[in-house]
Amino acid sequence: MTFAGYPPPDHLLGDLGMEAEVASETTAKVRTRVTPYVLAADGGVRVGVLATLVDVVGGAIAARVARPDWIATADLTMQLVGPVLGPWVEARGSLVRRGKTTLVIEALVVAVDEDGDDMVVDGQIPDPVGWASMTFSVLPAQNPSSTIQMASDLPIRWSFTGDGLDAPILDVLPVTVIDAAAGRLSVPAHSYLHNSFGAVQGGVIALLAEAAACEALGAAQGGDGSNMVVTDLQIAYLALGKVGPVVSTVRVLERGPGGRSSAVVELHDVGADDRLMTVVNVACAPVGGPS
Amino acid sequence: MTAEPAEPAEVDHRRHVSDYFRLERREIPAEGGSDQPSSMSGRAPIEPHHRGAGGGLRTGGLLTNLDSIGGLTSGLAVHPKWIVTTSLMATVSELAHVGPLRLRADVRRRGRASVVTAIEVVDEGAQSRQVAAAIMTCAVLDPGAMTLGFERPIVLAMPEPQTNPMSITDFFCIEPGTGPVTRLRLEDQLRNPWGILHGGAVAMLADEAACRAAAATSDEGVGTGGFAAADTVLHYLRPVKVGPVEARCRVIGTRGGRTAVRVAIHDVGADDRMVTLASVTVLTV
Repeated sequence: MTFAGYPPPDHLLGDLGMEAEVASETTAKVRTRVTPYVLAADGGVRVGVLATLVDVVGGAIAARVARPDWIATADLTMQLVGPVLGPWVEARGSLVRRGKTTLVIEALVVAVDEDGDDMVVDGQIPDPVGWASMTFSVLPAQNPSSTIQMASDLPIRWSFTGDGLDAPILDVLPVTVIDAAAGRLSVPAHSYLHNSFGAVQGGVIALLAEAAACEALGAAQGGDGSNMVVTDLQIAYLALGKVGPVVSTVRVLERGPGGRSSAVVELHDVGADDRLMTVVNVACAPVGGPS
Repeated sequence: MTAEPAEPAEVDHRRHVSDYFRLERREIPAEGGSDQPSSMSGRAPIEPHHRGAGGGLRTGGLLTNLDSIGGLTSGLAVHPKWIVTTSLMATVSELAHVGPLRLRADVRRRGRASVVTAIEVVDEGAQSRQVAAAIMTCAVLDPGAMTLGFERPIVLAMPEPQTNPMSITDFFCIEPGTGPVTRLRLEDQLRNPWGILHGGAVAMLADEAACRAAAATSDEGVGTGGFAAADTVLHYLRPVKVGPVEARCRVIGTRGGRTAVRVAIHDVGADDRMVTLASVTVLTV
């Protein structure tokens, strides 16, 4: 199923293979299979992929709650407390507040089995592996005929299906490293990565910020980004990235206890007068350290 | 929770939240008299009673300063319209600050409906290394017939030190306790000039509550001596008007000395409505 033709047939969301269920007017869940192509240095799912999942579940709730108006993600945060090993990972979202101009949504991130049930380890259901929050801006519908049509009977189930990834996700986007120590990485703004506004999708923004922060923080500690894992992510979406390429810059903060370190990542749409698109706060820990 | 360019006469400056951490604030007008928004600089010492388990300024205190300078910067950017803070997201990389701390706030986007301001914090006593960064989003409000008058550029001098300083938990009227629920009494000193609970007080409550919740679930047992809040997200949902205010925590999980805590803050006297949703990463220190 697609929403008004989104996503198109050849698209990242399809290749991630997401399955969704909108269970009520204010709750939904979306899951994706964990594959070797979406893993971070600790063997768990990349925070950028989880952010994509969370953005989709939040969008599913927000679009329904806000109708006939439209919505756009304004900010997205994540806290991770464990490697997300799968075999599937699910984001379970719920509406926190519906205001006139904004919606706030939270989501738990949990590992689930093939049937979508909670994993059981040693006879117990483990804690969630992450928590996320999002703010969506409500955009007044300019043209009533453009409003997304939604089924009224619940629950609603749909999926994004594609060929699947055949290489690591950063290679598929593709992300190009210009200057690792400076966190200068680049991604094109092509249709494979678009959101429904025709700009680079919010989850891709998170992936680029994750990769840029790991590269710069890894370099600052005398290595590379291959042993860094993001634990906290705070994204403020300021403007759409429609032209591209989207290029990151990173400012590294003072390193904290146990190798924990933070960075501020800024993303610019170089082809649109280098416009600032996104500001991201990222906290990382080295694999094997107190992550 | 809101910009504070005007200060009603009834506010006791010795006790008001904005002054407790002795934050000096100075407007930095845009160059060349352009219509670009001003930036703000800030500077605050770290007094012994401001320090937490991490050794430096408690993160709740840091967030109070971020809220003050970010709100002022955002408010000036849209003046004469008003603003209300809707979210504050901070990463805190270093907890053992030497001090004083220096802050710089710059508007990153000024739209019709919202303002986004980025704030950086450096530790002057540690070779001016950057120790924290934050992003504040404010909604733009129509002030109606109400106006605010003040001189530009704004300069708010560093408040004098208190002769008998109160501890952070005493000043912020946070009741003693342990476990997942922490309560704050809404005293007048915690209200901002608009009569609602200061956003910094909400942040301090989230800090204390999250540390207590993390302590309660750790093998080390109760007490916040070995726990310090670091990265924090605050979604301000509604103003706090009545009180008491209760922070209800859920520990999401713990990994390698980090505990992720969800904090739902409720205004008990206002039909127990949720006023703030927060997440706090608590470090074992």
